[in-house]
Amino acid sequence: MPVLRGFLWLLGFLLLGETLVTLTGLPVSAGVVGLLLLTTWLRLHGGGLGDIAAAAQPLIAVLALLIMPGVVGAFFILDALEGQWTAILAALIGGTLLSVMTTLALMRRLMGEASAPGEEAPP
Amino acid sequence: MTALLDHLLATPLLAIALTLAAHAAGTRLLKALGAPAWCPPILAAALLLAGVLALLSIDYADYRRGAAWLMLLLGPATVALGLPLHQQMPRIIALWRPLLACLPVAVLLAAAYAVGIAWWLGAPPEILAALAPKSVTAPIALGINAQIGGPVSLMMGGLLITGVATVGFVSLGARLLGIHDERIIGLALGLNGHALGTVRAFEIGPVAGAFASLGMSLTGILSALFLPLAWRLVGA
Repeated sequence: MPVLRGFLWLLGFLLLGETLVTLTGLPVSAGVVGLLLLTTWLRLHGGGLGDIAAAAQPLIAVLALLIMPGVVGAFFILDALEGQWTAILAALIGGTLLSVMTTLALMRRLMGEASAPGEEAPP
Repeated sequence: MTALLDHLLATPLLAIALTLAAHAAGTRLLKALGAPAWCPPILAAALLLAGVLALLSIDYADYRRGAAWLMLLLGPATVALGLPLHQQMPRIIALWRPLLACLPVAVLLAAAYAVGIAWWLGAPPEILAALAPKSVTAPIALGINAQIGGPVSLMMGGLLITGVATVGFVSLGARLLGIHDERIIGLALGLNGHALGTVRAFEIGPVAGAFASLGMSLTGILSALFLPLAWRLVGA
């Protein structure tokens, strides 16, 4: 079963990330370290690409489902706003609007618009 | 009724079934409404789920205990994002120079704008601390929160509001500025809107998804290194 072998690969990189984070005490999540390790591994042609893809693609497809329990929590924290909700909402929504606009403008300036995005087929 | 509900909540099955059902219903509902870009399917699904929990008077803490089984898969799913990153590596390497110049500035601004506005409106330091990691993916944000302080529930709420706002503002901003480049849209989504933005980016396409994964992981790592240091320098 390629899916199960691929899942084992993912768990292996996650556990390796967990080990590194615990040993070094870095305030980074094990998942992100695992992600970087996996990318490095694939970059070095470490093997297992087919198996990893069989497990990774369905997992990425259900990512939205996996973060839903956390999203629901947002509706239950209104009492945690501690009377500061104007400042908090203004900061979150205004700050996000400003940073999204800055990012888009900055990227376009530095990267240049692709002449025809998605023209070449991804490998 | 209460006894039955308690019995069903004793295992994670009910929480998982409710989550799957809300996800399916939310996706269908939005498809029927023509999938408006400002409202990600996940927001509709989460609203439905919150409504059902309130209706059945299920405590969020009880629901969350069951749903933790589902969230356990977030770890391997985060690692799985390394695959699209690898597949898009040629495009990313071709852009290493602008990315290197752009990412630290964008990451810093994502935190600075929100903290600046809240400070200007007179929010106390602990609330500023809770808002600072607003664009960072949840597992890393929890690590930053442990270092700089602030109420955890407020920080998590801030992440979610930021994620939803990012999805709306990026589609709005891209239209206003006339940007169609999937790479730029994906980066903006991942950089500002962490996992929620990345999920949206994969709906747009594989290139946007890969650049969102890149933006999300680099924002997480840079913030984990920058924010605690900056907090100490400011002396808050």
